[in-house]
Amino acid sequence: MSDKANDSARRIADELASCGVKLVASLPDNWIMEVIDTIDCDDRFVHVPVNREESAIGLCSGAYMGAMGSAALMGASGFMTVVYALTKINYTYEIPLFLMATLRGAVGDHHKHHISNGLYLLPVLDAISMPYRIIDKPEDISSISRCYRHTRTYARPMVVLFTRDLLRRQGGGH
Amino acid sequence: MKYLDCFRAIARHRTDEIVIASAGNSCQAWWAATRDSVGSFYLDASMSLSTMFASGLALAQPSLAIWAFMGDGAFCMNPGMLMVERQMNLPNLTHFLVSNRVYGATSNAGLPNFKDNDYAAIARGMGLQRVFEFANLEALERDFPRLKAANAPGHTFVVLEVEPFSAEEQKLEQPPFDGPELKFRFGRHIESLTGSSIFGYQI
Repeated sequence: MSDKANDSARRIADELASCGVKLVASLPDNWIMEVIDTIDCDDRFVHVPVNREESAIGLCSGAYMGAMGSAALMGASGFMTVVYALTKINYTYEIPLFLMATLRGAVGDHHKHHISNGLYLLPVLDAISMPYRIIDKPEDISSISRCYRHTRTYARPMVVLFTRDLLRRQGGGH
Repeated sequence: MKYLDCFRAIARHRTDEIVIASAGNSCQAWWAATRDSVGSFYLDASMSLSTMFASGLALAQPSLAIWAFMGDGAFCMNPGMLMVERQMNLPNLTHFLVSNRVYGATSNAGLPNFKDNDYAAIARGMGLQRVFEFANLEALERDFPRLKAANAPGHTFVVLEVEPFSAEEQKLEQPPFDGPELKFRFGRHIESLTGSSIFGYQI
């Protein structure tokens, strides 16, 4: 992993801590392994690896009802499995939730099996009226705090989508 | 044992526990047994996620004792939740698995492998240590104080073997609240108990 990728992971962790996130529930995606490892080693967070992405939605929603800041971290494919949980829990009860996911299938992703995410991830977000922000450059990481606070105002979920250029920042396609 | 009798017995043993009820019959039964709308959250739309929700709350508020109900229909959709619960091992969380061997909320539709599912064995296989099983009211009444008073570390998993709702019981009232109202009633109660601020929104 490049130093630049390390730096992005550290900055993401710092940004999460700055807005009061304590619990981070995650499932892996190769692009976010550096972020997961950084958070796992950081005493500012309680990191809970979960069995499936919906469990992260449940955990973080419950943490909100206990006044604990939280974030769910997952890959794009995992995100595509949580529409039921988001719409049933977070929309029905208007429970804020902050998510971070990978923008798989976009330019720069060499994996053909992520083409479906490239085709459908953003349209799915639009279909459920879920706001998102794409974070493509290190200088945009600071917008995490603003998006997190927006979930508290909006009382529903929002996701930030990390690009490969942000997370990998090196040659190769994986 | 009868589903409602079981819930009424548990309600009698309740002191200050916070309750999360899950999608389906457990919301109806807990509402019928308690009519509680401040210390209980009816997570009616949540297939398999009530105990994850409860785990988040239990983690956030370790001074509160949290009870979470979940039907075995929901459990079958996401049994891996027990791996997460075991890993978190929260001593203030009790997971009640309400085993009626059907999808109760959908007219008692059949549950896969319902005759052989051994939920306590599944839990033990995932490393859970505080596992209880109750199949009749007498045992539940007799041993419930032991379940509550035990001081072992780690979270508690309780299997309740109950009969499916009858056709009449299926008509029991659902908790008559919209989602945001429940959120605020429950959240304000948590705030008052803990002094924490859940809804600290300022213009």
